Amino acid sequence: MELGTRKLFNRSFSLVSIAAIVLMALSLVVLLGPIFVKGSSAFVFRGTVEYRMLMLNRFGRGNQAVVEAEKASAEAARKPVLDLIRGFEGEMEQRGPEFRAKYESDFRELKGLVLELFGPSPGEPTPVLLRQQYGQTRWDRSKLKLEGILFVEEYDYSDPTRMGVKVLKPRVERFRGTSMEPLFGDLERGIEEMMRPRLTWYWRFPFDDSYDSHFFGGIWPEMLGTIYLAIGSMLFAVPLGIVTAIYLAEYSGEGHFVSLLRTCISALAGVPSIVFGLFGLAFFINTMKVSQSKSVLAGALTLAILVLPTVIRASEEAIKAVPLTYKEASMSLGASKWRTILTVILPAALPGVLTSIIISMGRAAGETAPIIFTAAVSVGKPLAIWQTLTQPTPALPWNIYNLATEHQAVDEIRHVQYGMVLTLVVLVLLLNLTAIIIRARISKKLRA
Amino acid sequence: MNRFRNVLMCIALAAVLCVTFMPVALFAQATKIVIDGSTTVGPIAKAFAEYYMSKNAGVNITVSESGSGNGAKSLINGTCDIATMSRFMKDEEFKAAVDKGVFPVATVVSVDGIAVIVHPSCPVQGLSVDQVRDIYTGKITNWKDVGGPNVAIVIISRDTNSGTYESFESLVLNKQKISDKAEYVGSNGAVRERVQSTPAAIGYVGLGFVDKTVKALKVNNIMPDEATVTSGSYPIARPLFMFTNGYPKMGSTLYSFLNLYLTPKGQEIVKAIGFVPITKY
Amino acid sequence: MQDQLVISKGARRFKRLGALFGSTLLVALASSSVIALLFIFYFIMRDALPFFRLEGVREFLTSTHWYPSRDPAEFGALSIFVGSALVTLGASIVAVPLGILAALCLSDILPFAVRQVAKPIIEMLAAIPSVVYGFFALVVLAPLIQARGGTLLAAGAWMVLAPLFLVSTTVASDIVSSRFPQRLRTPVRIATLAVLGGLGIGALLALTGVLNRLVVSSGTNALNVSVVLGIMALPTIVSVSEDALNSVGRELREGSYALGATRAETLLKVVVPAARSGILAAVILGVMRAIGETMVVWMASGNAARIPSPWFNLLQPVRTLTATIAGDMGEADQVTGSARYHVLFAMALCLLAFAFIMNLVSEYVVRRSRKMRG
Repeated sequence: MELGTRKLFNRSFSLVSIAAIVLMALSLVVLLGPIFVKGSSAFVFRGTVEYRMLMLNRFGRGNQAVVEAEKASAEAARKPVLDLIRGFEGEMEQRGPEFRAKYESDFRELKGLVLELFGPSPGEPTPVLLRQQYGQTRWDRSKLKLEGILFVEEYDYSDPTRMGVKVLKPRVERFRGTSMEPLFGDLERGIEEMMRPRLTWYWRFPFDDSYDSHFFGGIWPEMLGTIYLAIGSMLFAVPLGIVTAIYLAEYSGEGHFVSLLRTCISALAGVPSIVFGLFGLAFFINTMKVSQSKSVLAGALTLAILVLPTVIRASEEAIKAVPLTYKEASMSLGASKWRTILTVILPAALPGVLTSIIISMGRAAGETAPIIFTAAVSVGKPLAIWQTLTQPTPALPWNIYNLATEHQAVDEIRHVQYGMVLTLVVLVLLLNLTAIIIRARISKKLRA
Repeated sequence: MNRFRNVLMCIALAAVLCVTFMPVALFAQATKIVIDGSTTVGPIAKAFAEYYMSKNAGVNITVSESGSGNGAKSLINGTCDIATMSRFMKDEEFKAAVDKGVFPVATVVSVDGIAVIVHPSCPVQGLSVDQVRDIYTGKITNWKDVGGPNVAIVIISRDTNSGTYESFESLVLNKQKISDKAEYVGSNGAVRERVQSTPAAIGYVGLGFVDKTVKALKVNNIMPDEATVTSGSYPIARPLFMFTNGYPKMGSTLYSFLNLYLTPKGQEIVKAIGFVPITKY
Repeated sequence: MQDQLVISKGARRFKRLGALFGSTLLVALASSSVIALLFIFYFIMRDALPFFRLEGVREFLTSTHWYPSRDPAEFGALSIFVGSALVTLGASIVAVPLGILAALCLSDILPFAVRQVAKPIIEMLAAIPSVVYGFFALVVLAPLIQARGGTLLAAGAWMVLAPLFLVSTTVASDIVSSRFPQRLRTPVRIATLAVLGGLGIGALLALTGVLNRLVVSSGTNALNVSVVLGIMALPTIVSVSEDALNSVGRELREGSYALGATRAETLLKVVVPAARSGILAAVILGVMRAIGETMVVWMASGNAARIPSPWFNLLQPVRTLTATIAGDMGEADQVTGSARYHVLFAMALCLLAFAFIMNLVSEYVVRRSRKMRG
């Protein structure tokens, strides 16, 4: 090959490999971008007067006088629309069966939609489900509901060679010539007055209890459950892990037992997470019966075995990285081996060990498969510490799966799903960031 | 001196741990109800749980939705108090329960119709039970064979841990095999999600999961709703159960929770969620 | 020895006993991982063997009919094995070339400052929980693939094939023109470039046309899962390969540069072969990560127990071992010892055995290379 070609090849190779890194960074952006953007809408959004009423009634937040005045003026703005509806109901009674047959189903649909948008009007009985006791609490959903009221989604099936095409027809056409006609214009013009959207910062989202299957409120039960599981698994894994790491680094030679141990540790690291879940169910719950039903304890134990290899490996590296001079100096002063380890080597290795603990905690917080069968439920109250020994808990990873697939009203709570994912991602990334910072400090110290 | 301080710290740590966990002994009998089972009955159980907990502080009710079969298994193993199931217990489950000293008692809390759903853009308005069967067993593979455009049908079914699947299998499939092209998802909500995002899809869900984003088909010319389900004219209807170990003791928390479906508020909840309330089965 | 200048015999014995007790305790605690692994094997095997006793091995491994709830039940898991293999293959195709290239970039090409920025990016990718990947695959990627699957594939093809074509046309034109005498070299090179380039672009455009017209019936398919699993396996491959590349001594690189090789030639012909065992270990670890992943495949692979109709058609749904275990565990009736429950443990056993064997292979590879390096 000619020199020119070789140089060209060299340059294009560099370009291609840099493109690989860029691609990885891009995939990170593509992955986290929608999550951050849509997840932040759980924290920062335009909330309506209904939201402020909910906060006042359920959480006791907000100035009562101000909020109630707002609600009163919103209701005053809604009155014409609701009067039209009530008037039409009376009209249908009067005009007889023919008129009724023509308009009844359309009217009922419209009334249902308006009820969804505004919530129950002052005279009506309170519905039993919390989600129906309030109108739309978010402005973006209010606008969607308004669209649903103003337009009917119909499908045009005229073309037999393809699936129907969505066509939006103005709903006012169905009520042309009746007293309901001006309702649509009134609604469209006055929606801001009726809902009173205002920029809201719901920073308490990770710390509020959830109401009515995550329709309202925050994700505190899941947060607490994840915290319990992460810390619980560390309580079991760290002592075992550090002891094993000490043994591997300090006490052992290169004998058969040690190589067996190392093989087992890396084998344990390679076991699929669902197998850990099955093992946790079969061993901890069914055989050892650490708890009668699923519980945080069983989940923490299962997660502990999952992260054990990581803790061992990273701790061993941290202990090995402590300069030999420390150990020699200590032993030359007459300290026994055990004393040296406890008082000299471990404290010196502490930042590295801490890093491994933090990273493993992040891993334990994010794992789903081990807790499906051992600790996770869809709905539950936040547990007190002593309840963790016997009771299961919701947890962020499991509830993300649950809300994204199983929930009855997936579209209504999209912002909660994204908010949960964002919270989990931020939690894990914060933990990792802390570990990275600690590690940077160690390398600086050890290099100097 | 150092050793003394270490010993003191150990004692202090032990004391803290005792104080944190001692309430276990005192509150070991803290009232809790563990519910496990069907994803169809899940929304009802969750709404009941929330309502009950709001009226009775100090009770913690947890709800899992991992499938009717899992609920039965938990009840048999004694790891849950109520097993919500969208199908009746099988013979083997009863036998296993009795072998383990558990006597399952069924309470029907609601009636449900299994709605066959398609994407709203699909022009087909209704199918017969035979057609649904043929689609799911793979004999009909294209929408054009049932009156639609020339698009291959995407079959969505429930994973076999589902009571909805079992009911569908016995009421519609007549024990025939589902085509191996069928995609499986884990819950009612997941079926709806797949169908609402895939124009060529067909699936089946409990009635409470039908909303504006999917279209329920008429089966044998009958639209599933409260009237047709309770009268029995809708061909694919089934009761929804809550199984307990024996009848709960009168006046206990479990008893009052289980009978929520009979109260006016309970019936309102069931109806609000989209299922059919029932007072007598 | 310790401070035993003035210590009594009894105290000495006590101290020795104490040391013995301490080290026994230490060994016992340290072997907890061995115990854990043994327990895992025991419990999984204990519940898996009854399946083989009840149903035998042949149907499990050779039949594609998976109907565990029917009566009579059929436990043909071949399509599920193929599904797992297919998504792992897809993930490797995505992750291995990308990962090795990225590792090469990190170890040799990027300056130190940029490397300090790139490494956290990779660690962040590794730290993201699998359910977040699954959520992304289900909520963001699946509708995208369904709506524009063909276009995405075409874009992917362009991204991969265009640089390859560029490089190979340049090299080919070079080789061809070097056969000719000096005068004709430039025109011959231009001619070859034009011909090959034209052919290449033509082929690419044709491929794009074909791909664009593809209709994807279902966004939750093997392609979706392969891409996401590939991204998940990338950080593992990159970090372990980078370690392997870094452990190749400077002397090899310097020797190669001294002989006049370009950086690309050094990397491809000297460094990578020297680090090949470490890179192989990295690939094995990445594969293990991909095959053992549950949440992503459960949410986004479609879970259809069939072998796609041309086997490489990644646009069709597949079912993997891990998703079957997670999904079917609910119905499996452990109490009566039904085959349905035990088959899940049989699958878990297969996964476990595969992971264990892969682990042994990678350890053997690394150990042998270490021995060779002396």
